[in-house]
Amino acid sequence: MTATDWATAVLMPLGALFALTGTIGMVRFPTLLGRMHASTKPDTVALVLILAGAAFQLPDLRSALPLALVAVFQFMTMPVLAQTLGRVAYSRGMVVSEHLVTDELADDLAKREAEEGRAAEDPRRAEAP
Amino acid sequence: MSAYRAPALRLLGRLPTVLWLTVMWAVLWGDFSPGTLVAGAMVGAGCYAAAKLPHLPVRLRFRPLRVAGLVGHIALDLLLSSVHMAYHTLLHPARVRGAIVAVPLRTDSDLLMAMVSAGLSLVTGSQTIELDREGGVIYVHGIPIHDESDVPKLRRSVLRTEEMYVRAFGTRDDIAQFEAAERELAGAGAAAEEER
Repeated sequence: MTATDWATAVLMPLGALFALTGTIGMVRFPTLLGRMHASTKPDTVALVLILAGAAFQLPDLRSALPLALVAVFQFMTMPVLAQTLGRVAYSRGMVVSEHLVTDELADDLAKREAEEGRAAEDPRRAEAP
Repeated sequence: MSAYRAPALRLLGRLPTVLWLTVMWAVLWGDFSPGTLVAGAMVGAGCYAAAKLPHLPVRLRFRPLRVAGLVGHIALDLLLSSVHMAYHTLLHPARVRGAIVAVPLRTDSDLLMAMVSAGLSLVTGSQTIELDREGGVIYVHGIPIHDESDVPKLRRSVLRTEEMYVRAFGTRDDIAQFEAAERELAGAGAAAEEER
């Protein structure tokens, strides 16, 4: 085995291992947000490691460039997806507070709602007397 | 004069996007010959015109050393915290708890805020849930958080990430504004401490 083969032999199983832990996490974590943490982030690492492993088997840098493009798009799209899913999950009440140490978003949303409630009530109060 | 400078400037502002599309085209073909580049530029410009993308003024600076530091930090963070997460996943996933913290950001640039929030979602263990643009507050879910004492740690790491992005990509104005906001926040924090 040459040095490049060794690099592939280390990188690819390592990437597969990360993907595996991500998937196990998706099954075993109790909360939706926990599952998202477990599945999105280690998978990114896994993808990069596997791409790097594949790149070592290619004849030259030019044919490896499209692999870099795959990684770039993963880095660009993954956070957007995770963030959108997280926000939707939160606003649909799928975030269980017993697994949270603090939830400052809930506090601030309650505060904002209270302020809006007061603002909506004010005109009625002005009319009453 | 200005009537004809404006379209020229607008075209100039669109150049980076077309350039990026051209590079992508060439990479996908695996061929950097002039013919491919010209064809790529034409396809890129055509797509740009057809998609009617809004023109956003990009006011960023690029500091190579800071960017390299940031990339290194992200790579290391991704790797280490993925290992950390794997450990929690395999041993006791049911006991892992998280926290959502509100962190007031110090930068006021749209682009930098977007980068910070995406950057936080990218690394393991933190994820942006909500961004309050008006108040400049970012809501981040962090994992694993065992008890109250881990909360300030999460908050600090968010602020550190923000600082790294601002210093790597912010313009001189952004950095000045960031430092002023930081002093103000530090002052407010000290005052609150004294009151207590």
